Amino acid sequence: MKQGQGRIKRYAMVVEVKKCFNCKGCVVACRAENNVPLPISRNWIEESGIRGRYPFLGQTFEPAACNHCERPPCERVCPTGATYRTPEGIVMVDNRKCIGCKYCIQACPYQARSVNRRDKVIEKCTFCIHRLEEGRIPACVETCMGGARHFGDLNDPDSEVARLLAHKDSYVKKSEAGTRPAFYYVF
Amino acid sequence: MESFQWGWLIVVYLFLGGLGAGASFVSGLAVYLGGRDAYRNIARWGAYIAPFPVMLGSGLLIFDLFRPWNFYRLFLTLEPTSPMSIGSWLLLIFTGTSLFNAFLWLPRETKGWLLSRRRLRRWMRGLEWTWRGDNEEKLRSVLAALGLPLSAGVGLYTGILLGAIPARPFWNTPMLAQLFLFSAFSTGTAALIVLTSFTREHALTGGRDAKLLYTLDILLICLEILIIVPFILHAYLATSSIQHSLRLILGGPYTVLFWIGVVGLGLLVPLALEAYEIYPLLFKRQAHHSRALEVASGLLVLAGGLLLRYVFVFGGQMSHFDPGAAIALAGGAVALP
Repeated sequence: MKQGQGRIKRYAMVVEVKKCFNCKGCVVACRAENNVPLPISRNWIEESGIRGRYPFLGQTFEPAACNHCERPPCERVCPTGATYRTPEGIVMVDNRKCIGCKYCIQACPYQARSVNRRDKVIEKCTFCIHRLEEGRIPACVETCMGGARHFGDLNDPDSEVARLLAHKDSYVKKSEAGTRPAFYYVF
Repeated sequence: MESFQWGWLIVVYLFLGGLGAGASFVSGLAVYLGGRDAYRNIARWGAYIAPFPVMLGSGLLIFDLFRPWNFYRLFLTLEPTSPMSIGSWLLLIFTGTSLFNAFLWLPRETKGWLLSRRRLRRWMRGLEWTWRGDNEEKLRSVLAALGLPLSAGVGLYTGILLGAIPARPFWNTPMLAQLFLFSAFSTGTAALIVLTSFTREHALTGGRDAKLLYTLDILLICLEILIIVPFILHAYLATSSIQHSLRLILGGPYTVLFWIGVVGLGLLVPLALEAYEIYPLLFKRQAHHSRALEVASGLLVLAGGLLLRYVFVFGGQMSHFDPGAAIALAGGAVALP
């Protein structure tokens, strides 16, 4: 949809990698907000490990979760149509249709899905859709104390995420998988 | 630590699905090969055993779901992009037609006996037309013709289910579906080799049945070998994630199982045994007629088929779409972003 033409939003997460210091506040906030049982988690931090050669050392942390792909492999393989994509680009699971075949877990290149054995559901990031409906931002973004996480509407050129992507170099995870994630990283 | 989302149930299901499809395929071939009734015994036993492994396998599949009460949802929709959706419908149709075909192959006496049962009478009355006149023969031919593409579909599906996932590079090669298809037909043939060796009619055919089954199985085993070789070559020359996944069977956790179990005991040894057995049949020498050899070669093929699926189902889940892993293994210093 062209900008200004409609009201359709296109949600995206943008992480400033250099501002993440691995406090894992987002992981805790997500668990608390969405009542996710141990040992699984909807989000996690990927550590690069120490890179470089002494004394020029460094490491980066990349918070990760479901990438809410524009072409989600999990949706493609779902045999009952339980996994679907909302008009705003959020990949969701309709539990009334889900049979629990775990095919989507196999298909996800990001390993963003897991089985919640307690509630017998597929557990994955929903961009806190229940909060978005109330006009609030996702719990992980709200809690991020380094200010690394940004969330917003890519179709709104004045949004924080759109401006960050316009002005900084960005990348997505495993772009060669052809999934077109809505989860971006900027330096 | 790897966690396996799909376990033994899926391995056994893929094996049984392939076995049933293979038996149905061989049965269908036997109906059409060599003129009328030449391979009646194979056609009959193939028809008898085709539906049951598939039904048992489908049952296991439902048992493996963690929301099994929702399984009927598979049949409220057809998702053209999901191999599992297409496969479920195929399994349903296959089960229906192969059950009907098995019924058609029942001897007249058995059908008459079923008709005499009070509880079954109403059902059997409805089916009586199927053995009136030459309807029986006609229907068998029709269902055999229908069974050939259907069983090829079920056999292929077991491979495509795994092969259609780019996130699992070990599965995601164009050869997996064919490998599973030929392995499926081979296990179906092997099941018939074992089974028919115990039937009364087997000895009466003077080795003709055995010759057909051995020829088929030798052909299928050769086809499997001809897929495994390019599978490895292809994977070795493909993108780094596929190349990397190949280490599972070239120096990784499944190396011994694959090369000794699947290739050695499951393909090469039965190939040798079957070649030894078919040799006198081809050159009109005194046949071996050794049931022990027949059963041994058949069981080895069956075990090999099961192992093949074990290696692929479990091994594949250890492979990830992660070209970065290969870079890390190369030991190069990665530039800071």
